[in-house]
Amino acid sequence: MKVLRPLAALAVVAATALVGACAQPASNQPSDEYSSTVDQKAGEDATTLTLWTFVELHGKFYETMAAHWNEQHPDEQVKLDVNVMPYDDMHNKLQLALTSGEGVPDLVDIELGKFPNFTKGTPALEDLTSYAEPYRDDLVEARLDLYSKEGKTYGFDFHVGTTLAFYNTELLEGAGIDYTTIQTWDDFKEAGVKYHEATGKAFGTADTSAQWQANLLLGQLGGDYLDADGNVTVDSPEVVQAFEILKDLQDSGAVAVPPGGQPDTEEAYGAINKGDFAAMIMPEWFMSRFTAYMPDLKGKIAIAPAPVVEGAEVKTVGGGGTGTAVPSVGEHKELAAEFIAYAKLSKDGNEEIWRTLGFDPMNTSMWQDEAITHDPENEYVQYFTTNPFDSLNAVSDSIGLLVSATSPNAPSVNNLFTTETLNDIFESGTPVKDALAQAQSDLENELGQ
Amino acid sequence: MVNDVATPATVRAAPVVRRRRVGRRPAAGGSPAKNLLYSRKAAPYVFVLPFILTFGIFWAFPLGRSFLMSTQHILPGVTENVGLDNFERLVGDRLFWLAMGNSLRYTLLTLVLLIPIPLVLAVWVNSRIGSPKIKAFFKSAMFVPALTSVVVAGIVFRLMFSESETALFNQVIGAFGLEPEKWLKNDLTGLLALLLVAMWRWTGVNMMYFLAGLQSIPAEYYEAAELDGASRWQTFRYVTLPQMRPTIIYVLTISVYGGMAMFLESFMLYGGNNSPQNIGLTIVGYLYRQGIEKNDLGYASAVGVVLLLVILAINITQLAFNGMFRKGATR
Amino acid sequence: MSTTAVKTRSPRVVASAPTRAPKRGDRSRSVLMGLAFVVVALLALVPFWAMFIGTFQDGSLLIRYGLNLGLNPADANLDNYAMLFTDSGPYFGWFANSVIVTVVQVVGTLLVSAFVAYGFVMYEFRFKTPLFICVLVIMTVPFEMLMLPLYVQTNAMGLEDSYAAVILPFLAQATTIFFFRQYLLGIPTEILEAGRVDGVTEYGIFFRLVLPLMKPAMAAMAILNGMATWNNFLWPLLVLRSPEKYTLPIGLNTLLTPYGNNYSLLIVGAFFSLIPILLLFLAFQRFFIQGMTAGAVKG
Repeated sequence: MKVLRPLAALAVVAATALVGACAQPASNQPSDEYSSTVDQKAGEDATTLTLWTFVELHGKFYETMAAHWNEQHPDEQVKLDVNVMPYDDMHNKLQLALTSGEGVPDLVDIELGKFPNFTKGTPALEDLTSYAEPYRDDLVEARLDLYSKEGKTYGFDFHVGTTLAFYNTELLEGAGIDYTTIQTWDDFKEAGVKYHEATGKAFGTADTSAQWQANLLLGQLGGDYLDADGNVTVDSPEVVQAFEILKDLQDSGAVAVPPGGQPDTEEAYGAINKGDFAAMIMPEWFMSRFTAYMPDLKGKIAIAPAPVVEGAEVKTVGGGGTGTAVPSVGEHKELAAEFIAYAKLSKDGNEEIWRTLGFDPMNTSMWQDEAITHDPENEYVQYFTTNPFDSLNAVSDSIGLLVSATSPNAPSVNNLFTTETLNDIFESGTPVKDALAQAQSDLENELGQ
Repeated sequence: MVNDVATPATVRAAPVVRRRRVGRRPAAGGSPAKNLLYSRKAAPYVFVLPFILTFGIFWAFPLGRSFLMSTQHILPGVTENVGLDNFERLVGDRLFWLAMGNSLRYTLLTLVLLIPIPLVLAVWVNSRIGSPKIKAFFKSAMFVPALTSVVVAGIVFRLMFSESETALFNQVIGAFGLEPEKWLKNDLTGLLALLLVAMWRWTGVNMMYFLAGLQSIPAEYYEAAELDGASRWQTFRYVTLPQMRPTIIYVLTISVYGGMAMFLESFMLYGGNNSPQNIGLTIVGYLYRQGIEKNDLGYASAVGVVLLLVILAINITQLAFNGMFRKGATR
Repeated sequence: MSTTAVKTRSPRVVASAPTRAPKRGDRSRSVLMGLAFVVVALLALVPFWAMFIGTFQDGSLLIRYGLNLGLNPADANLDNYAMLFTDSGPYFGWFANSVIVTVVQVVGTLLVSAFVAYGFVMYEFRFKTPLFICVLVIMTVPFEMLMLPLYVQTNAMGLEDSYAAVILPFLAQATTIFFFRQYLLGIPTEILEAGRVDGVTEYGIFFRLVLPLMKPAMAAMAILNGMATWNNFLWPLLVLRSPEKYTLPIGLNTLLTPYGNNYSLLIVGAFFSLIPILLLFLAFQRFFIQGMTAGAVKG
């Protein structure tokens, strides 16, 4: 019968599937979203805490910290059940879970850009201010404030996220450029034009799906997207000036739009790894992307302070961030809150954050501790030609903050800019003033202003 | 096993037997309740009960609720009635109109591409010339894309339309000496990609619909036309097309439906609901954004209501235009 | 195949075009047409080929540099397949989940639809017309419009993150009901009378006499609903939260993230998920086509 052969093939497929499923290592049960290789050293009485995140590396970090915690608190052990979900999806699901009150995780990573969505009205998140007390003095206060509302802190971040410049020294030397001479945006443009003329490629990136550079400029110029009351100010002079600087860079050939729209995408990693871009102005955490996804560039990347606007008081801003929060309906919220405060705010945690994630920890006194920052075993120290803390310490007294990030209207601004406005400016060539005026009117409509 | 399914409504082996109320035969030793349950009177209700329950709970109720929510402003814990405010806000909402425009444009183009072309293909397949083996291969090859999940289709096409110069479509235009395109960042090229996905998936299915329709045209009609000396085109125009009307109308109706409600193809192609400059935003995409991403359920429900009304309006218009509502129009 | 089924067709309907004496020029037209068919068919198969050779490459490279039809033998490897069968984590769990959900959904939908179609055709009862209108409503209202209130409702019913929530709303399926109705209209009511005379209950008549006659229709509708359920994405995406409950489309979607670094599983998993469907299609082609074009049938 004609049917027999395809059915036989189907049977073969089913058999291989069965064999395949059985051949999985025992630890890779369907409950793991990714292969968990960290031993959390949790005893039998450990409380299971579900944790949602959108970055696999974060998940591994939490598990490592769980192991530390369990050693120090044998009576209050925890076992983390980490679920890694795609960025948008995780935040959507969290929103739905918090609204319905069902299926809420014990701990959840919420990215800075989305955080205000979850503190709207009466936050469904636990007030973590008291849990931060033991560690508060050593930390950059501004990073705690970022996730606070009315004096109460609802999330703990990993890092400061200082915006720095990453230069591919090999490519720069080939074009006769010395990155240490780049101090201001004018210097940056000069280098960029020279590089472009020498190689035909773009020096830096014009980001259409992220605002790292725009935010840096805004911080240096003293402007912001929203005012203190949350009113939209995207057509204000500082914002216009910031984007005009960036547009000018693009027009001169110094920067181009990278694949994926910004350096922190898979497509862009490929382009950077291939050498299509030589200068990336990104928050410090971009370091971990190099070690994880761009192995070809080991020993070629130098880290330096980002270019500044002449005479600016603020030299750099923190960019991005992930605030880990504890939903209030969680059964184990006290334990979860204590654990996460330890994991992310303690000296232990901060050391681990630097060691495994390569982030610039919020505990800035650590930045001076060369035993930690210049540890030759550290994979980041080995990868980059300069030590990131040299640059960090050079700017540490002038790290600014865009206050708009805490406003409930911020996500709308971010969403509009990364879909419409930036594309209008850098892809479609819309004049900066027009694009910002459109953004102003769209946002006013959406936010009812 | 040949065409043994779906006998036309007009065919019955015997005339309908009028059911007269026959007295119930008591089941041996059964209780009155059981008798009732098993009776001829009660049986139909039992048969339709599961459906009624499912429909009532999972269709009718949410449908009503959707209309209700569209007149409300819903925040966590607080629900207030605001009448037609949501609809007023929709009127002034630039993104909503952009989404509406995208959906309408997409629907129109899929109608233009996915009705004539499959129809012609079906006619060719149905004609007497050409090798049956090749035709069988052709039919299968065209049909298989419809079996793929939209996730898989979206991923593959997204990778083929990548802006990298080694992506398939950039290679194709590269052969003509053109620079690599950022397909999924520009409105028109993005639309092209979307339409290509749609054509890939649905041409085969529509072709099979039309084939089914063609194969039920009696041979005598063709013979009569041939006897009258009709050319191929005339045969097509005066015999085939009129006979195909119900099928074409059906495909038209579901295509309008499918086009206006399109969401997932765009979602997968652009890797989410946030396409650059919202070129891929459709009405349902906007509904998803407002309802799921921004948690504004009232406003999203209003979008849903508008979607339903637009689909109904378009389809009722096209059905009326095609004379479906005239007496005796349906066979 | 039951021999008691009466399948009469109008004697005027012919299944395929009649054979006529070939005209001049038919030969060349035939060749041209055959050529056109082959070319178009191959075009339709291009994405499959692209995916197939994609499975032999590193997933990250595919995301970075796109997918095309060529394969550099130096880059090609079987790593993805090795990974799939030894270290693919949740993949086969998703696979199994999809199978379970599909089977339950298909059985449920077919039963409910057969029940109600039978009720429509074989009985006269009050509310028949309003009920029919209900079925029509299902056809006109897009599911996307309902999904939000339905989501709120399933949560309120305590069904969130459950397969019940995934399956129940789709038990009422209009095309299936119409298809069965159409089919049942061709079954003579004498069968019912005969059954009743023999002392069979109404339900017995359905299960023992009529249902066996519906096998071909069942097969076609099983395919239609099976395909729809296997590929169903949007609703399970909303409802399911625990990763171990994810069905295949949802699971594959979770791999589309730059922070998960698992694009290789994405490409090989996506390809592998097609294979059962393709094999089933080759085996049961006729039912596939019948099932998925149901509805275009006149009436």
